Amino acid sequence: MSAVPDRAATFEAPDDFDAINRIYREKNWSDGLPVVPPTAARVDAMLKHTQRARHDMVACIAPGFGAATVERIAINAVLAGCDPEYLPVLIAATEAVADPAFNLQGIQATTNPVAVWLVVNGPIARKLQVNATFNCIGQGAWANATLGRALRLILQNIGGALPGAMDRATHGQPGKYTFCCAENEEHHPWQPLHVERGFALTDSTVTVVGAEGTMNMNTHAKDADELARVIAETMMHPPSNEYVHGGEPWFILGSEHADIFHRAGWDKARVKRELWQRSKMAVRQLSVKEIDRARASRTKEFGELSADTLLPISPSPDDIQLIVAGGPGTHSVYVPCFGNSRAATRPVRGA
Amino acid sequence: MAKQGKAAVTVCSTAFLTLGRAQARALGNAELPIAVIPHPFGGRTRDEVRKIAEQCAADIAKLVSGASS
Repeated sequence: MSAVPDRAATFEAPDDFDAINRIYREKNWSDGLPVVPPTAARVDAMLKHTQRARHDMVACIAPGFGAATVERIAINAVLAGCDPEYLPVLIAATEAVADPAFNLQGIQATTNPVAVWLVVNGPIARKLQVNATFNCIGQGAWANATLGRALRLILQNIGGALPGAMDRATHGQPGKYTFCCAENEEHHPWQPLHVERGFALTDSTVTVVGAEGTMNMNTHAKDADELARVIAETMMHPPSNEYVHGGEPWFILGSEHADIFHRAGWDKARVKRELWQRSKMAVRQLSVKEIDRARASRTKEFGELSADTLLPISPSPDDIQLIVAGGPGTHSVYVPCFGNSRAATRPVRGA
Repeated sequence: MAKQGKAAVTVCSTAFLTLGRAQARALGNAELPIAVIPHPFGGRTRDEVRKIAEQCAADIAKLVSGASS
């Protein structure tokens, strides 16, 4: 690890919004959008919302292995426009991205467009008004917009993942500006994500997901069997990191679709099993190079792969992850993932 | 490995050289020798790959002897 000072550097700047933003632009300390100047007063106000000490180390952020101290997280939160109350969510998210299973090194430095998607659960989501309904992964909610943006700035400014330098994304994706929502726990036929992951309903958590993008699925299907079929067919795409490596596909089920499964008597585990089984793809549908990559990654799992082998998208049905969110409508979202990554969940403390 | 006193060389394709150098600096080994191969190499013929490999092996040998001299 590099020798990183514990304290963030301070510098004098003119008391002028445009001048300060010019500095941030020249130094590549922004994501390309104007930032809120992180004055000492603003950072101090942010720090009042955690019981952790200012210079506590939260995590080392790959690929530059910068020290994400509480203070540095707070600075990036100010830059992104976060309300001070949001800080505990960002501390938890920073802990989560450093979970070895998340593979932050791979996510930050890959050519893949993978973005880090934040899913907020529990009372904190309601308290901070993290949107879980209409347009929940779109624009409009301050908490969604600024929390996702702040994490991106943490990954870039502390982790050193600048586009074209250590962030090697070929195209990237809009979700790399911000990607955050809550789960709709009020209109949910099953256990919400954090309860499924061992937390109490009254706990607050944040989950980080290595999300390759979003694929909307608009289907008016009203039958669980038919709905599962069309979702499974959406999952099957040959140039997929998930089939090559054995991934962790995610879904944001709209409430109407979740209710269709629920009314048919399907619990979450049944939905996962059905999607896993029905989305198996014949190895021959992959390109020759992808078949070679899949052999390197998945032969231990399946033995020698032949052209006729039916390859599941993930090692087991349990790897498929479902949340319920969004407003009324016949839409759900498939969130294909990076492949070599597993989501990580951390409790939000002291909120 | 370099920090343990063993000769170490990393192989990077040209597209990843910036990342390799930056990460070596971040990990406290800015002088890490890096053998560079052309990018991309996935679509090349076996003969082309062999030539790249031979050149790379020679570069590694040179970098290792330079690093240990």
